[in-house]
Amino acid sequence: MEQANPLRPDGESKGGVLAHLERLETQVSRSRKQSEELQSVQAQEGALGTKIHKLRRLRDELRAAVRHRRASVKACIANVEPNQTVEINEQEALEEKLGNVKAILQAYHFTGLSGKLTSRGVCVCINTAFEGNLLDSYFVDLVIQKPLRIHHHSVPVFIPLEEIAAKYLQTNIQHFLFSLCEYLNAYSGRKYQADRLQSDFAALLTGPLQRNPLCNLLSFTYKLDPGGQSFPFCARLLYKDLTATLPTDVTVTCQGVEALSTSWEEQRASHETLFCTKPLHQVFASFARKGEKLDMSLVS
Amino acid sequence: MDETVAEFIKRTILKIPMNELTTILKAWDFLSENQLQTVNFRQRKESVVQHLIHLCEEKRASLSDAALLDIIYMQFHQHQKVWDVFQMNKGPGEDVDLFDMKQFKNSFKKILQRALKNVTVSFRETEENAVWIRIAWGTQYTKPNQYKPTYVVYYSQTPYAFMSSSMLRRNTPLLGQALTVASKHHQIVKMDLRSRYLDSLKAIVFKQYNQTFETHNSTTPLQERSLGLDINMDSRIIHENIVEKERVQRITQETFGDYPQPQLEFAQYKLETKFKSGLNGSILAEREEPLRCLIKFSSPHLLEALKSLAPAGIADAPLSPLLTCIPNKRMNYFKIRDK
Repeated sequence: MEQANPLRPDGESKGGVLAHLERLETQVSRSRKQSEELQSVQAQEGALGTKIHKLRRLRDELRAAVRHRRASVKACIANVEPNQTVEINEQEALEEKLGNVKAILQAYHFTGLSGKLTSRGVCVCINTAFEGNLLDSYFVDLVIQKPLRIHHHSVPVFIPLEEIAAKYLQTNIQHFLFSLCEYLNAYSGRKYQADRLQSDFAALLTGPLQRNPLCNLLSFTYKLDPGGQSFPFCARLLYKDLTATLPTDVTVTCQGVEALSTSWEEQRASHETLFCTKPLHQVFASFARKGEKLDMSLVS
Repeated sequence: MDETVAEFIKRTILKIPMNELTTILKAWDFLSENQLQTVNFRQRKESVVQHLIHLCEEKRASLSDAALLDIIYMQFHQHQKVWDVFQMNKGPGEDVDLFDMKQFKNSFKKILQRALKNVTVSFRETEENAVWIRIAWGTQYTKPNQYKPTYVVYYSQTPYAFMSSSMLRRNTPLLGQALTVASKHHQIVKMDLRSRYLDSLKAIVFKQYNQTFETHNSTTPLQERSLGLDINMDSRIIHENIVEKERVQRITQETFGDYPQPQLEFAQYKLETKFKSGLNGSILAEREEPLRCLIKFSSPHLLEALKSLAPAGIADAPLSPLLTCIPNKRMNYFKIRDK
């Protein structure tokens, strides 16, 4: 039975040779696989080995760094003074710089117009003043968008903010801010004069001071010699220019007298001029000084 | 003292709660300190009222004194009325407003008295540059009804006035005219803004509800917003949608700010729009005519309620601009039509 034996190398049947070739092929592939596997395992071993080396090196480096730090901290604690003073000096210098910058930013208030950037635009601060006295501050928070708009503000309701904004806000923001500054400073100045008159010279007034919110119409009666026999004067001051702190129209009349003698008429006219040219409280201050002079003359 | 005046004063004093009585009487400044000291305020209210009426009779209280007491009562109980807001405007190129309170009062009174012979007009100035006006209406033939007056609060040298809503609507045009002419304005328009809270209306109209401003002086750092998370909580616990929560907080803060919202009780939207729907071919979508409906939001404090909607998870942020524009546009009555 020759056909049944596949192991004979020189088998005449094709099955025998082919089968043999097949066997040889599988043998080869198997051995190739094995050698490949062996190679990959060896490669992995090698890679892991290098990784181990790297990690060991890193560990050694870190250990060395820790040791170094510990040593330098000990050295620092040992030599405290020179290191600390350097740090303190730096800190002081920075704090001083910070303080300077803060002071400069606060000092901007004295320029009358300052601002701070906000997340949506800028918050403008208008600090009003009159005759060197710092008065109220007002804020306008602007949103920088097209169109530019006012987000919120602390301007009094009787100041024509909407009008000024309608005229200038979109076209010329500088003009808007300066115009608003003018109005607010003038209002503050007028208010200051009226407040001073009410508080400092109440003795010379014979009735309550009548005023309106903008302080642009003031009406009052006054006497040069309180308690004396002279007739009181009635003054009516109109401030038609809302950007001014001096009145545009002044009328002074004398109560209860039909026709004034020339001296009274002169006084009346001079008072009118005074109110037109000098701030209200200064006029009254001069009245008070004259009154004092008269008193002094009576005493002596 | 007139019977009607006595009755009027009696009814006004009866309305005043006991704990406010001395404050209001002092503000009225009609009865002297000595007279007030003779009154035993611990008695029953009827007895106190009797005693006070007796004192008023002694001092011969007039109708104008009684009207003044009524104004003061209303100033303490502003929320009992619903207030409308009116805006006036000047003609172009008009002179600077030289407001004279005396002139205004005279002019206002004259205009009303010329139109209606019988009308009681009283004024009381307040410290915030406002004047309260009380008008009791009569007709050519009947005396003024003191129990249904209209109150007007006018802020001089501004275009705004607040009027209590009254049932006697026929007098409103005359009142508007008197106010306009006396204050030297050109015309008057009613704004779509109404509420019981006069202070809130004032804050909205004059845009004074936000009074926080950034300056270089402020040393308080911007406050960290905490989402109500406990700092002591375990740091291994992470909130699932913290990103979304922070986004909602940020948008709410940008829209409503950090300040207390002005108080309104409702917002009303009158819609006249065509139906919009994703589904095609529904009967409503095919309708040519616009649908009319009225939507009203009510709350004891509407704007705070709207502010809390998104953080509470009830609505998406950002809210509809129709809701958030209320203080900015100074309206809480809206008419919405298709453009």
